[in-house]
Amino acid sequence: MATAKSVLNESREIERAVALIQLGARLQVLESETNLSYERLLRLYKEVAGRSPSKGQLPFSTDWFLTWQPNIHSSLFLNIYEHLTKVSALEDIDAIMKAYKLYSEQITACAMEPILSLTRAWRLVKFIDNNMLGMTRCSKCGGHFVTEPYENSRHFECGLCSPPARAGKSTAAGGILLH
Amino acid sequence: MTDEQLTAEIREANLTYLMLAQSLIRKDKAEALFRLGISEESADLIAALSPVQISKIASGNMLLCRFRMDDDVVWNLLTNHTTRKVDNDATTKLHASILMAGRFAESI
Repeated sequence: MATAKSVLNESREIERAVALIQLGARLQVLESETNLSYERLLRLYKEVAGRSPSKGQLPFSTDWFLTWQPNIHSSLFLNIYEHLTKVSALEDIDAIMKAYKLYSEQITACAMEPILSLTRAWRLVKFIDNNMLGMTRCSKCGGHFVTEPYENSRHFECGLCSPPARAGKSTAAGGILLH
Repeated sequence: MTDEQLTAEIREANLTYLMLAQSLIRKDKAEALFRLGISEESADLIAALSPVQISKIASGNMLLCRFRMDDDVVWNLLTNHTTRKVDNDATTKLHASILMAGRFAESI
């Protein structure tokens, strides 16, 4: 922000950054969503999380969102996010945070582990904004699911209506099971 | 159940609903709109109600809150009535929440 420094704005940004760190956001998310300097964010991160932030690049591929189990999680998150942004005028990042909270709540209510991290959720919204991923309506259940941007909607069936052959066999705790 | 009892129960349900809705909206409006599945206008109206108004609106012979899903798909998923490829409770519940979360986007 090039405008004069405002203490009030800064405190708001710090508050937002703290909330993001508590939700498990990576440093790159904080850098992109606040105007605080890298050094301050780093200090803040250590103070809030009690450890240094993870290093390395963010996952950059859209593939993860299209694999069976992550796709279902992402679709739930994105449906909630779209719902929130449609009914109320929220800033993008606030909508992401709220939607993420509601998503984790819902997943926990289903006795599963939220495998979508806040960083991934944020990434997903960026992918959708840039038309690298899209939402397609399932021709069977009518729900909207994360897909390639130009999926053929006439024949599309979601991962829950037509699970792939080997889906749901994972023995890891908190996964999606079919039976 | 007599008619008086019925009216009393409806009043009770209405009161509980309105008070819950009010505290949800006051706590976090955007979140409340999602949880309650109502429009922003109705949320503003409910949030502005005084206790006296609430108790006035609550008494009557009609329920104020109504069913959120009016289609068979969601209903079947929630009750798990039809046998499908997936018959895990948690998974069908998850499926239903995806459908319900996406519902509002269409009706707007």
